[in-house]
Amino acid sequence: MKRSVCLCLFAAFVLGAGWTNGIQDAGTGSAPAGKTVINYWTEDRHDLAYVEKKIDEFNKTNKDNIQIVLNTITDNYANMLAMSYSSGTAPDIAKVSSGTTGFDLKTFVDAKIVDPLTNYIKDPEFEETTEASRHIYEGVNAINGIPYWIPTSVRSGTRMIYNKSLLDAAGCKKLPATIQDLVNLADAITKKGNGVYYGIAATSSAPFVRWFEGSCEKSGIHPYDYNNGRFDFNGYLEPVKIANKLFKNGSVFPGSTSQGVDAMRAQFTEGTFGIWANASQEAGVFTTQFPIKKFEWVVGELPSLDGTVKGCVSSTPSKGYLLFSSSKHKDAAWKVIKYFSSEDFLKGYLENGYALPSSTYMAKHMDASKTGRLADFALTSYESTYPSIPSVSVTGDDYRKVLWNAVIGQTDAETAIKDLNTRYNEALDRDIKNGKTKRIIIKNFNPLKPETGKIEYSTK
Amino acid sequence: MKQKHHDFGPSSVLMLLPSVFLLAVTSVYPFFWLFRYVCYDYNGFAAYFTGSYNFTHMFSDTVFWQSVLHTFEYAGMKLAIIIPLSLIVAVLLTQKLPGTDAFRTIFFLPTVISSAIYSLIFGFIFAVYNGPLNAALQAIGLVKNPIDWLGNAKIVMRSIIIVAVWGGLGNYMIFFISGLTGIPSEIYESCKIDGANGIQTFFKITLPMLSPVLKVILMLAITTAFKDYESILVLTNGGPGNRSTVMFSYIYNLIFAPSTPPQIGYATVLSIVAALIIGIVTAIYLFFARKLDDVV
Repeated sequence: MKRSVCLCLFAAFVLGAGWTNGIQDAGTGSAPAGKTVINYWTEDRHDLAYVEKKIDEFNKTNKDNIQIVLNTITDNYANMLAMSYSSGTAPDIAKVSSGTTGFDLKTFVDAKIVDPLTNYIKDPEFEETTEASRHIYEGVNAINGIPYWIPTSVRSGTRMIYNKSLLDAAGCKKLPATIQDLVNLADAITKKGNGVYYGIAATSSAPFVRWFEGSCEKSGIHPYDYNNGRFDFNGYLEPVKIANKLFKNGSVFPGSTSQGVDAMRAQFTEGTFGIWANASQEAGVFTTQFPIKKFEWVVGELPSLDGTVKGCVSSTPSKGYLLFSSSKHKDAAWKVIKYFSSEDFLKGYLENGYALPSSTYMAKHMDASKTGRLADFALTSYESTYPSIPSVSVTGDDYRKVLWNAVIGQTDAETAIKDLNTRYNEALDRDIKNGKTKRIIIKNFNPLKPETGKIEYSTK
Repeated sequence: MKQKHHDFGPSSVLMLLPSVFLLAVTSVYPFFWLFRYVCYDYNGFAAYFTGSYNFTHMFSDTVFWQSVLHTFEYAGMKLAIIIPLSLIVAVLLTQKLPGTDAFRTIFFLPTVISSAIYSLIFGFIFAVYNGPLNAALQAIGLVKNPIDWLGNAKIVMRSIIIVAVWGGLGNYMIFFISGLTGIPSEIYESCKIDGANGIQTFFKITLPMLSPVLKVILMLAITTAFKDYESILVLTNGGPGNRSTVMFSYIYNLIFAPSTPPQIGYATVLSIVAALIIGIVTAIYLFFARKLDDVV
């Protein structure tokens, strides 16, 4: 009996080892004979169906014998990219956008993880579809003017997304223009909901950026004072205090602060709260990933402090591709980047409503009527890209977490802001002294045109 | 009688070499490697000399020292529940009762499941809206409104302890069972003859006979409880408002948090301090526990 049990266990072990080895081979992309394998990493899930289809098409029809192997990294993407390089398992190319959480281009460039694309982007076909020369953003996709990735689409700034049925039930006649109006609307929906549905929801995943950061930007509030080259969080005090009322009044969907973004999207689809917020990727999310069938949903602009526009809301240059310095097939990798940036790929991508076009060429050559709900997220006149702020080694919680903790009432707003000003500016001064970063100064910075203005770097 | 001495010859050295090499490469070298970056701001690629900043900052880092207090809170609560509970379960399961084998398997099963997986599942169980636990409590009338198990700063630690006890009970139960099976049955027979009841037998015979085993189990439990952080990362990531942040979850986030650059140098200093704290606690425990060896 014991012997037969041991034999069975041994057989199971051998089979298991063989099976696991097979899975690992699939993940790393062992090449069919003669093919050049290009490993491509992405964190995007909302467009996976389309991207996989186009990759399959490319793999079957390309004349260069290239095979693209796609890997979707759903968590801790920037860290995984860095660790993969350190461990020698980096992909050939990786998708990146200016909104990739935790990704700091300067760190990757200083560590020589990625190669510049300066010579590659001179390709006339590439320039035609992406208008690369017009999309160089210092600190975002370029360091010292040298580009490392080029956006092929853009994600809008965040928007408020409303369940129209719940708005109508609460007697809402006009979408909120101020943050206080938003609080009032959420309170009204919650009161009408009587415990069955609520006004608004939060999420545990990057809650600060869902609508609050954009509303503050629209109100002219930014964490970095470009004129003086210092961090300044004082402007957040008033909006934090107003937004806190959402939690004090009980208008936030219970437990949403500890639920992930997909869980809350699913709840919104079920009609359990009336107000959600996110950027243009929600058009694809609520059409294909979590399709909303039970009610009509409308998209509105972000509220601001006083209802006026005092600053640009950050739009996100997206869907660019890094070329890893460790790639052994750089020419083939560039061909894949070029394919992902081609009209053939982008036309269907944009018409499926996954993102907005970043070039006038693609805007002219796509059929905008096919984009479905993405049209609701069209760029406004006050959306742009801010220059990257210095990345500093600040210990303790980062400013987004601290400010959001103040919004939800976990910490006192004044104490939090005073602490942020101290910690961030001390970190900035220290990192400048250590040679890790430089102070970014833009004299006469205009928050309504943040892409203009001459950037000066100071080591003082 | 003369003892036979064995020479520590070349063949002994050769046989020991692979394990000594592995130990040196996977344990000793990484430990000393830590000290390379204590005076640097190191992001995994570039190191910037910061002098004694990491040490001076450590003393004023209130979030870290709060995490130390939370660690003691977590460890204390976990041990106070899990050790007596696993001992009682072990005693019950060493009785010759029907179904004890099945129950041993059931209680041991959580030990073989990854803590990240069962923490994810408990996250769903604890959900405020339509979560099974709240639904059950409301159905039987114990609560009127759903409880925010993981989002309420006043109760989040207790929720985490529930998960920790559920996950660790089987492990300590097995240790106690192996200790209990080492107690000769003649002693229990003698007790029965002398007229001792169950409770007297437990406190006068079982516990003292278990002392040497209990000493080792407690030491393992203390060091494990102080190092626990995986469940906390999955359940709350240290929230709400750092209320459930423990030492190692804070150190983990210093290196791997997606929103800030890695601070490996500072995290190294905190790791050394955390190891010292655990070492001191263990040393204090061993000092007071030395009497457990003398009980039998």
